Amino acid sequence: MHEVSIALGMVDALYRIAEENKAGRISSVKLKIGKISGIVTDSLKFAFDAVKLEHPLLSEAEIIIEEVPLVYECNDCHVSSSAADIYIFACAGCGSRNLKLVSGKEQHIESVEVEV
Amino acid sequence: MCDVCGCHERVHSHSHQTRTVDVNQSLLKANEEAAINNRKHFDDLGMLAINIISSPGSGKTTLLEKSIDVLKDEISIGVLEGDIETDLDAERIRAKGIPAVQLTTGGACHLDSSLIHKGFHSLEHQLNGKKLDVLFIENVGNLVCPSFFDLGEHVRVVLISVPEGHDKPVKYPKAIMTSQLLIISKSDLVPYFDFNIDKIKKDASALNPSLKIIVTSTKTGEGMEEWIDYLKVNLKQK
Repeated sequence: MHEVSIALGMVDALYRIAEENKAGRISSVKLKIGKISGIVTDSLKFAFDAVKLEHPLLSEAEIIIEEVPLVYECNDCHVSSSAADIYIFACAGCGSRNLKLVSGKEQHIESVEVEV
Repeated sequence: MCDVCGCHERVHSHSHQTRTVDVNQSLLKANEEAAINNRKHFDDLGMLAINIISSPGSGKTTLLEKSIDVLKDEISIGVLEGDIETDLDAERIRAKGIPAVQLTTGGACHLDSSLIHKGFHSLEHQLNGKKLDVLFIENVGNLVCPSFFDLGEHVRVVLISVPEGHDKPVKYPKAIMTSQLLIISKSDLVPYFDFNIDKIKKDASALNPSLKIIVTSTKTGEGMEEWIDYLKVNLKQK
């Protein structure tokens, strides 16, 4: 359940962002979470909604998660392929396993909506 | 603070505007920054830091004990032991005459870089100025969460023991994808389990093509020389 640690880290980061922007409150937080980031989005939401209640700055903050698909580009034929939920994956164009990960590992705060 | 919105005005007689702030920062930024500081500190000391992760019971502490037996007259070793509770593992290491600090997380399922920072300073107190060549960090037994937290190590080693099954790399890909070495432990038990060594090697290599794999047994000694050589090669680069 690393999501609780991640949610606690988010709280600290959001305080800093609020301070830098002289915000009285944070109304929403947009996250990008990749398919193979290993972060369970429901768990992260659950953890954040539990910890935010202790912080007036965040108590109304809504968490908006964009899930980023797993996309590979083939180093041999340069075709891009996406995979639903498999990790060991072959190129849809030529079957090669010589692949470069294009997206799917994201785990970041994209933007924050602040009230000033 | 006003009761309506938590702003710093005593009376809420003003309106609020919202605006979007582009952030684009890692969710693990604080841990990543502390990890960079740890790594720099270790580099300045010319010390190799190794983070060992695995499920509970894969043989992390036993591997350390056996490695210490082989190496302790040649190189100076220190150990940070991570567990949710108890001092048991640090006691096992200290029994070998090696300085060790137990980090108990009190429930958290992984170590993070600020814990390592504090733990390493406690270890330095035990060393009385003696220089370390290798710092082993034994993470909390868990194949999921530790893979998220860079501790400032130079090498991450993941252990998977034969009784756990050869399907672990595909079930726990992040542990494999973020490690540099996979140790398949308890190879002496292969005759008693349906454990396919070729399959685990193939899956692990597909997930992480640069991953080195060593098959070991602390009972028979298989692979131990290769593991010790791996450590020495990495130490030479420090």
